[in-house]
Amino acid sequence: MIAQGHPRSIGKHVPRREDPYLLRGEGRFLDDIAEPKDTLFLSFAMSPHAHARILAIRTDAASALPGVVAVYTAEDMARFVKPIRTVIEIQGYRASSRMVLAQDEVRFVGEHVAVVVAEDPYIAQDAAELIEVDYEPLPAAVRLEEADSESAPLVHEDIPRNVMFEAAFASPDFQAAFESAEMIVSETFRTGRVAGVPLEPRGCLALLDHVADSLLFYTSTQIPHLARTALSEILDFPEPRIRVVTPEVGGGFGTKAQFYTEEVVTAALALNLRRPIKWVQDRREELLTSIHARDHIYRLEAAIDGEGRIKALRTDLTTNAGAYSSYPFGCTLEATGGARMIVGPYDIRNYAFHTRAIATHTCPSGAYRGVAQPSCFMAIEGLMDRIGRKLGIDPATVRQRNLIRSEQLPYTNVLGVRYDTGSYEECLRRALERVDYWNFRKRQAEARDDDEVLRGIGICCFTEVAGAGSGGWRVRGLTKVPGFDSASIKVEPTGKVTLLVSQAAAGQGHLTTFAQVLADYLGVKVEDVFVSEGDTATAPYGTNTFASRGAVAAGGAVIKAAQSLRQKIARIAAFLLDVDVERVELTESKAIDKENPEKSVDFRQVAQIAYSMTSVALPQGESFGLEVVEMYDPPLATWPNAVHAVVVAVDRRTAKVSIEKYVVVHDSGRLINPMIVDGQIHGGIVQGIGEALMEQIVYDEDGQMLNANLLDYLMPMALDVPQIDISHIETPSIDALGGFKGVGEGGVIGAVPAVTNAVADALARTGANINRLPLRPSYLLREMRRRQLAVDGDRK
Amino acid sequence: MKPAPFEFRAPVSLDGVLEEMREHGEAARILAGGQSLVPLMNLRMLQPSVLVSINHCKELSYIRAEEDGLVCGALARQWDVEHDQVAIQRCPLLVQALHHVGARSNRNRGTVCGSLAHADPLAELPAVALALDADMIAASSTGRRVVPAREFFVGALENSLRPDEILEAVRFPYAPTGSRSCFIELGNRNHGFAIAGVALEVTFGEDGRCRRARLAVMGGENIAKRASDTEVALAGSIIDEAAAREAGRLTASLVDVAGDFHADAAYRRELVAVLVERALIQVASGAAGRARSI
Repeated sequence: MIAQGHPRSIGKHVPRREDPYLLRGEGRFLDDIAEPKDTLFLSFAMSPHAHARILAIRTDAASALPGVVAVYTAEDMARFVKPIRTVIEIQGYRASSRMVLAQDEVRFVGEHVAVVVAEDPYIAQDAAELIEVDYEPLPAAVRLEEADSESAPLVHEDIPRNVMFEAAFASPDFQAAFESAEMIVSETFRTGRVAGVPLEPRGCLALLDHVADSLLFYTSTQIPHLARTALSEILDFPEPRIRVVTPEVGGGFGTKAQFYTEEVVTAALALNLRRPIKWVQDRREELLTSIHARDHIYRLEAAIDGEGRIKALRTDLTTNAGAYSSYPFGCTLEATGGARMIVGPYDIRNYAFHTRAIATHTCPSGAYRGVAQPSCFMAIEGLMDRIGRKLGIDPATVRQRNLIRSEQLPYTNVLGVRYDTGSYEECLRRALERVDYWNFRKRQAEARDDDEVLRGIGICCFTEVAGAGSGGWRVRGLTKVPGFDSASIKVEPTGKVTLLVSQAAAGQGHLTTFAQVLADYLGVKVEDVFVSEGDTATAPYGTNTFASRGAVAAGGAVIKAAQSLRQKIARIAAFLLDVDVERVELTESKAIDKENPEKSVDFRQVAQIAYSMTSVALPQGESFGLEVVEMYDPPLATWPNAVHAVVVAVDRRTAKVSIEKYVVVHDSGRLINPMIVDGQIHGGIVQGIGEALMEQIVYDEDGQMLNANLLDYLMPMALDVPQIDISHIETPSIDALGGFKGVGEGGVIGAVPAVTNAVADALARTGANINRLPLRPSYLLREMRRRQLAVDGDRK
Repeated sequence: MKPAPFEFRAPVSLDGVLEEMREHGEAARILAGGQSLVPLMNLRMLQPSVLVSINHCKELSYIRAEEDGLVCGALARQWDVEHDQVAIQRCPLLVQALHHVGARSNRNRGTVCGSLAHADPLAELPAVALALDADMIAASSTGRRVVPAREFFVGALENSLRPDEILEAVRFPYAPTGSRSCFIELGNRNHGFAIAGVALEVTFGEDGRCRRARLAVMGGENIAKRASDTEVALAGSIIDEAAAREAGRLTASLVDVAGDFHADAAYRRELVAVLVERALIQVASGAAGRARSI
């Protein structure tokens, strides 16, 4: 409940508190933390082979280099570090263990085989180059298509056929519905391997407090609490003696929602050598070893009626897990995500999937912004267009016919998942209007075969799984991901408010948005709230920041904590005002008598009593202090939805794509700070444009990564980004406190399918079938030519 | 990304620089803007044992309008050349190409001579130098010599300077009266390295025919190449759509193109043909193209 008279902060474009210091270059990132004078630095020796047996490691030359303190191999580390084992409690999952340094065998290029500890990072790197390793190269399973076969080299001896995870599902009437349908439309979609590539690579600094024998661990992560628990378990070091602090984090995108081997090594060596240890990753290491994503193959078959309605859908999904299960999400996140989310905003009552995660000799995959949703919506939205083409029905109409109608909400989908509220039809209607869809189609119909430019329009309608609570993670077997988040509020003796949140921002503006939420729900002025997070010594435990969960999970916790604290404030204020507590309303850092608004006491007066700092005694039965901690477990998930509509022009002769129009109609429930929401959408779209048009991690057949630098791994830059027209619909969640639905991933989820469909639509008149990413000009031209040759061949 | 150990020298005069080069030769590299060299050193792909900075040699920091061309000293920054009034008026192809070089922050620091000496196959300036027959002025402690562009560029990241020489300056001839020029390139993204590019200058006679065409093409593995046969074919002709298309086709058949993960060779070849054709149409129509640039 928000007080009637309280001026709302939620929904306002409150300027970000983070901007002044970030824009001035004063943000304190990991590498800005001044390390103590006796700090030692790490450099890892990396495997040059995708798959090889380690026969011998000679570290003498490295150890002899002046300035080198020690060199460790897997054998040395095994004495004080346990392997990382990702437990996932789901049928069909085969766990793999990973030592923090490769033992006996290397399984991807870039895997660490030894680590140098030296007095400065330059010497450390010089020494790493002096480590000599004898390898016996072994056959590698690099590409997904190759690894997924009986004859492929095994990545792990105990994982037959490289199948790390396999699951299947069929709704009760699926088979009958599939077989009785009028026709089948099928397509295979192949997405490209990409990575999150945060501006700031990973890094950590481990410091010992010798008095208390505790570890202060700075790390550039999205998951400080989970990292602390993992560190404690892997190092066998008491959790209370570990304090994890995230400094300013320069982008995460899920890349930093994993816990990594280097974090274990840094902490372990600090404890072992009893010296501060610092490790900062460079870009090459970042691209070689931070999780990759999206290397997927979708085979879809839709049984449809003559009107384009999907009567039954079958998904066969194969994902590339890489060499190891990453922690804590393992290799199942993309495989379960893609297969489960693909039904999206559509009323599909009969559904079956078969999904697998295949091990390969490549960098482990993990949770990158959107997880499998950019790819699964590329598949289903691509299929919608193909249904339209097959039946001669406009693809927008096909979507309209398949969408869940407003009157069907709340709606339980074929997998038993509840969508509480949404605006699927209205989003599509408004997006078509804003992109001027039907006029575009008219102009497109008048296009001629000799036009130099081919124009196309692409749509993506999607739902996004966001803000998942414990139920949402359990359903996917992720028992090491708690699901709840928490907030601790302290009204200090001076009446100002400290809010500690269990999150860890990587640029999302939490210091601003959570202050806004608390301001409204506690009735305090936004400027009186100080927000802090990312320090496990002060912030309460929680699941942390990923999967579009910040606003929903921590926002809910803030609301819950505010509701509980406001009662105590109201009781003390009622005592001071000498009225019934029902008459007290909290607004703008004051408690007022609703029936006599001139009568009020401010938070300071209430706090002075609560902290026993005035002659007025605390009312009988009240406890001292004004603080509360609350945990909030959100529903299984909240369901933001949106429609992206994109117009592209493709140069017929160079196949270069330009984006001419970009429209987004987005519904993420109640908006806390629209400016920040728009920023999230912009950023996601830019990443989606990259994924659709240019980004791709390239491994050659031997498993060498050919583009582990930002000259060759192409990410979009200013000139590649169009004007983006965003409009919002606000349909609050009824299942989640506050009505928030989460917004971190929607931009990228909508962009990849919409851009892909627009390009495929533009090229459809040439007969080219565009079904793989990225849509680089050379690929597009090849497809047009291939089709042209086929046509010419037919004529002969 | 920490460079291997190296010694650093920063002489304050050209003589001092040349003395360092005489002493260290092969082991030394010149540091001018450092926009290519420093990243390569950080990746340890280049490991010079001595780095000789010319950034304190004021005498090398000039852009001079001489009688027979615009002379850029070794420290002339790309941004300054791009905005030099004489360059804009009289060396339009150079300025058009500079719009495509890196981003503004790169051009603030990067030098024209540095980019030429670096000789990247997909760098814009070597293509311009080749097309215009620029003169490369090499200096060593034993003297100066003028190397024609065609002899300067040997291969990818390879020039014909001797180990003790530096590229002291470059002279770009002025565009002849009646000429128009065009630099175009295309990449997987709208900024950064291209897949292929074309540097073109055409001098038209009073009858509107092409009197002289100068054309260089870049497209991959090897350093940009002059398309002499195309130039010969164009001389004396009216540049219409058919002629432009034919010139594109001819050029594509002449040049070496790379096939890699950015683009296959067939695409690059086709792209060269289209870019040559479009560049010719643009100069023939007199349209002034201005690249979008950051």
